[in-house]
Amino acid sequence: MQIALDHITPKPLLDRLSGRGSDIWNQALTFQQGEIIRIKAPSGSGKTTLIHYLYQLRKDYTGSILWDHQETFSSHELAKLRATQISVVFQDLRLFPQLTAKENILLKKAISKNEAVSETQIIAMAEQLQVTHILDQPAGICSYGEQQRIAIIRALVQPFQWLLLDEPFSHLDEANTARAAKLIQDVCAQQHASILLTDLDDDSHFNYTKRYTL
Amino acid sequence: MLHQLLHSIIQSATGRLSRILATIAMGVAMLLIVLAVQLQANFQSLLNSPANKDSIANFLVIHQSSENLQRSSKGISSQTIEDLRKQDFTESIGIIESSHFKAGIESPSELFPFYTDIAFEAVADSFLDVQPEQWQWNEESRFIPLIVPNLFLDIYNFQFALSQGLPQLSTTAIQQIPLVIKIQSPAGDLRYTGRIVGFSDRIASVLVPQSFMQWANQQFGSSDNNQVSRVVLRTKDPGNPALSNYLKAHGLKTDADKTRFSKYRKIVDIVAGTAGAIGLILMLFALLVFSLFIRITIATSKADIELLLTLGLSPKALSQFLMRKFFPVQLILMGLVLILLSVCQYLISQWLATQQVILPAYPAVLTFACAAAVLLVIFLTNRQSIRNYVHKHVQQ
Repeated sequence: MQIALDHITPKPLLDRLSGRGSDIWNQALTFQQGEIIRIKAPSGSGKTTLIHYLYQLRKDYTGSILWDHQETFSSHELAKLRATQISVVFQDLRLFPQLTAKENILLKKAISKNEAVSETQIIAMAEQLQVTHILDQPAGICSYGEQQRIAIIRALVQPFQWLLLDEPFSHLDEANTARAAKLIQDVCAQQHASILLTDLDDDSHFNYTKRYTL
Repeated sequence: MLHQLLHSIIQSATGRLSRILATIAMGVAMLLIVLAVQLQANFQSLLNSPANKDSIANFLVIHQSSENLQRSSKGISSQTIEDLRKQDFTESIGIIESSHFKAGIESPSELFPFYTDIAFEAVADSFLDVQPEQWQWNEESRFIPLIVPNLFLDIYNFQFALSQGLPQLSTTAIQQIPLVIKIQSPAGDLRYTGRIVGFSDRIASVLVPQSFMQWANQQFGSSDNNQVSRVVLRTKDPGNPALSNYLKAHGLKTDADKTRFSKYRKIVDIVAGTAGAIGLILMLFALLVFSLFIRITIATSKADIELLLTLGLSPKALSQFLMRKFFPVQLILMGLVLILLSVCQYLISQWLATQQVILPAYPAVLTFACAAAVLLVIFLTNRQSIRNYVHKHVQQ
């Protein structure tokens, strides 16, 4: 699946971005299937905004974003796109606090109707990220670091061609970051999926094929 | 699995108390509306069921009101009778013919002596409430059968006999007493034998067979006066308010007892109508309450619903889940209401049967049809509310 950005600029950031160079805003770019894209962005430059645009949560931009040459989606198409082709780890995680960590993961599996991932595999992922002990706890009482790892597992239990990551390791230490990056890379390799990661600083979590500065 | 998780998410957003209150409001409204329909059905059954019909009440003897009689002595005009015949409440009309000759009755028995001048009336046999075997007459016959009101016997037995020291008589005994009927004719008094052969509750008059009356009026009638003073009206429903209104408007009267029911019926009509109207208003109110409850449920779950849609749950699946969350409760509620109504109807019909009032043991088909219609309206209201709100969230 291909993503094409055609001179997109966030309307709320028009003033702030004018006169400032960017590899992404107001550029014509195409991201091909299989690529691992890294976008470095200082605070306030619109990193989360870009992820929301790509995930079709917001439309307040000029220009156009095309997913496989398609710009607009019906509610049904959008639901299908999110359930089976694009997965995401939000910066603010977005777990249901009233559900347990495991239920949050199973919910995504159920929404995407993904029978390819078993409950045993989910537990194996949790073991890999060292969060098995909190699987039956309400997500609302888990630490940010634990919630972030649950959000990563949740993003990986659905079929996808693109994985959007918005500061996915911001609450994790180096060891946990390495384990999470390894898991993400393994699952993406299995699914032949692409990664688009935004972060504040340089990193070498993945073998990036393209690096941009926002 | 998905439904179970969605249930946990949405359920926790709304309070248990508000759910219970909305459900109770809906249940009460459902009960009131089906009750109003069933009350109407029961009332119709009480009015129209053959089991509850009173044969006496279906025949009304109609005459001019006393106020009208003072103003005119022409009786009921043929025009009025024709007009009466055309009314919807009229099944048939029998004209009560009066005798136009002078007659008297005396007892041939010395043990039971009496003599009185008398006038007779006659009506077609189909309007009589008794048909004694001896109720027939032909020109060769010297015997004239008589039917008298039951009231006459009561007056004799309980008033006259006691005060005069005469024996009280049973209906069988009185039918054994021979009578001599004297009819004045230009050729002198003609003597006939007579006997009481029956007692009527319907017509308060001394009746002779219509064939005799027509012959005697022709033979001995002193005038061509064919005025009709009373008619018998056969009607399906003596309680019909249209009937009593018509009689009142045309200066006619009948047995107040029989038409008094029309007043009760008007009251019951108003009560049943009001109950129906209140049921309908409450139903609309309950639909509003439930629709608001759905909206509040969605509004309080707004963040959760947005997140579910963000994660890729289709609006259609979410709408289906919300429908399945709300409608089965309403379906069960209507089922319980119908069971409750059926039990009440059965118990009331059993009790009324002991009072000689026959009511169907089960609710009317119309009541079940109404329940189905109410469920359909609820279903459509739910669907519309859910569609509107889920669609609104998708657009956001």
